[in-house]
Amino acid sequence: MNFELSEANALLKSSIRDFLQQEAPLDKSRPVMEDTEEGFSREIYAKLGDLGYWGLTLPESEGGSAAGAIGLAVVLEEMGRVAFPGPFLDLVLAAETLSRVKDEPASEFLQGIVEGRKSVLLARWETLEELDGSSLQTRSDQNTVRGTKLLVPFGNSADFLLVTAAEGLALFPRPEEGWKAISLPLLDHAQRFLEISLDAPGTLLCDKKTADTILKEVDQLGALGASALLLGLIEGSLELTLDYIKERKAFGRSIGSFQVLQHRAADMWIRMESCRSAVYRAAWAVENKQNDAPLLVASAKAYCGDSAHFVCGETIQLFGGVGYTWEYDPHIYYKRVKTLEQLYGSTRNQLEAALRSQGI
Amino acid sequence: MDFRFSEEQQQFRMELREWLKDNLERSWIEELRDPDNDEKKLFDIRRSWQAKLNESGYLGIHWPKEWGGRGLTVVENAIFAAETIHAPPIASRVGINLLGPALIHHATEEQRKRFIPKMLSGEEVWCQGFSEPDAGSDLAALRTRAEPDGEDFRLEGQKVWTTFAPWSDWIFVLARTDPDDRYGGITFFLVSLHQEEIDVRPIRQITGESEFGEVFFSGALAKREHIIGAIGEGWKIAMTVLAYERGSMSLAHLARFDHYLKDLVQGVREKGTLKRTDVREKIARLLVEKEILRANGYRTLATLASGQAPGPEASLEKIFWSEYSRRLADGALDLLGLQAQLLVRSPYARPHMDWAQEALYSRAVTIYAGSSEIQRNIISKRILKLPSS
Repeated sequence: MNFELSEANALLKSSIRDFLQQEAPLDKSRPVMEDTEEGFSREIYAKLGDLGYWGLTLPESEGGSAAGAIGLAVVLEEMGRVAFPGPFLDLVLAAETLSRVKDEPASEFLQGIVEGRKSVLLARWETLEELDGSSLQTRSDQNTVRGTKLLVPFGNSADFLLVTAAEGLALFPRPEEGWKAISLPLLDHAQRFLEISLDAPGTLLCDKKTADTILKEVDQLGALGASALLLGLIEGSLELTLDYIKERKAFGRSIGSFQVLQHRAADMWIRMESCRSAVYRAAWAVENKQNDAPLLVASAKAYCGDSAHFVCGETIQLFGGVGYTWEYDPHIYYKRVKTLEQLYGSTRNQLEAALRSQGI
Repeated sequence: MDFRFSEEQQQFRMELREWLKDNLERSWIEELRDPDNDEKKLFDIRRSWQAKLNESGYLGIHWPKEWGGRGLTVVENAIFAAETIHAPPIASRVGINLLGPALIHHATEEQRKRFIPKMLSGEEVWCQGFSEPDAGSDLAALRTRAEPDGEDFRLEGQKVWTTFAPWSDWIFVLARTDPDDRYGGITFFLVSLHQEEIDVRPIRQITGESEFGEVFFSGALAKREHIIGAIGEGWKIAMTVLAYERGSMSLAHLARFDHYLKDLVQGVREKGTLKRTDVREKIARLLVEKEILRANGYRTLATLASGQAPGPEASLEKIFWSEYSRRLADGALDLLGLQAQLLVRSPYARPHMDWAQEALYSRAVTIYAGSSEIQRNIISKRILKLPSS
């Protein structure tokens, strides 16, 4: 029994924290979220590529950093703390998918990703109903990919899309004239979701059965990564809250001295620490291929989703009126949480997955 | 990071299972269901079960060998607690779990030799004298006085919520040696209950049992040689004791909750409602929260096993397991309907689970050992550093 991070992961944690503090504190990120079309800084992502973060979880034999599931959780927790914008988790998941396709074109592209030169994103949704993968309309035949994909995160920036099709998994390069895309603005203004229509040459990488097996593994990593992001969002949001209620005065005293607010802050902290236990226990189980990993990942995602909703919602409430203004930061955290609750396995589906993992 | 038990720890678990097979004749719920067993008899069963455990070295597992322990770690102790949930609870639970750490960390060699062996064997059963009618959550408001009497002291006052008081031989008491110093005026005494100047009265609980009682001191003798730590150090020692009470028991609770949730799922299956989405969601949340509790428990265990004393973080576990225990019992009474309210001796009661008792008892756990509200005070003051009013 040991809950300490390994030396390598402790170093990873302080490196990424320093990097984000320098490059992407929230006051620097907000103009990027709000005033740019892409919604994230290519420059910062390029730096992350140079530092090896794009291949964070890939094996060293593929040029990756082999940080494992715990390393992934460490990095995403830090990104959550500053509500770091952009498709970082999605890049990792696309790279993980490609690396599992034992195929030559795939490994060629992988090289570009590891070096941060080429970005690849998964395009999987076809309706607003949560993925089930069984009834895909997108077709990939005779080297042409045809179909419409929904909710491609930050899809405009991608050099390639990894597309799920009825035949299997296809790699689709960005057409010269750019993607045929419609943007789908939603509750979180920091997100950039697209609907992308595909009708152009692409390469089928593997058949449907192989694709399903690969995506199942990748989805586990996605749910774990999202849990770590949610943990980080909780940390960031609670930090804001504590600073604010210590400073804000009413009735002649700091409002943080009122017991009713102290107990609410305590509940937020309890959620945060419980999420931390859950995320790292699940990450450890995935990294060490434990039998109970499906239960632990599903539990972590469901619990972190619920907890982050609670904590980030409480932050708005404890800020009072200014918590409802665009100017203050609580809504940034709250909005990010709302999308994450639904993506990478919604809370509802994770609860069901937890039951099924136990034969219930 | 590692969430595994070591090979030696697994081995310990296996040996214990074998031992239980050979030595545990009837499960605790069977004893409870036996109409011949009144409260007194049930307590005797606990006492003799304790003696049996002690003979085989299964008590004080994580205490040093020189004081009668087994010299293993908190991890083995947690494994023991988890494996023995169907056995009778030991008679000296309060003594071993609460006074034990105080003796190990704060007592003199002589005191350890005098008290630990008899505590482990069950020859001397202990109860805790902390709370008073006007000092519950605000424990430092306690008023029981220790007046000097030659070398020794005489106690005047009243303690309440004293678990096992009616069957105990000794009590560890927080008493005031200085009326003006709120924290520094409290001293930790070990006092024999077998004296005329002490009167013990049972209190009937909402479960109908009288597990706890009130203890009245009118000039009872408290010997100087039985003070733990120095005069005026009682508060500090009590806080260590309470942190142990809060911190290390999660795995034992978890083993119970695993069993309870299994029974709940089985009951729902039998009713034919397991396919209902509202039922599934409720069970799923109970399942998920139980895994979060386990993750928290492993984490605390890892911290304790690395030799650190439990800190204010122990409050997290106390809040989580106690409030979970309420949600689980409430969930069962909701999903299983009236069957879950049948007393264990009723026909048609669920055979392996006493939900009625559990539902009532879950109302105590969020109050004892520092109420949920006190735990939240501890978190907001000591961890979040929120200002005092």
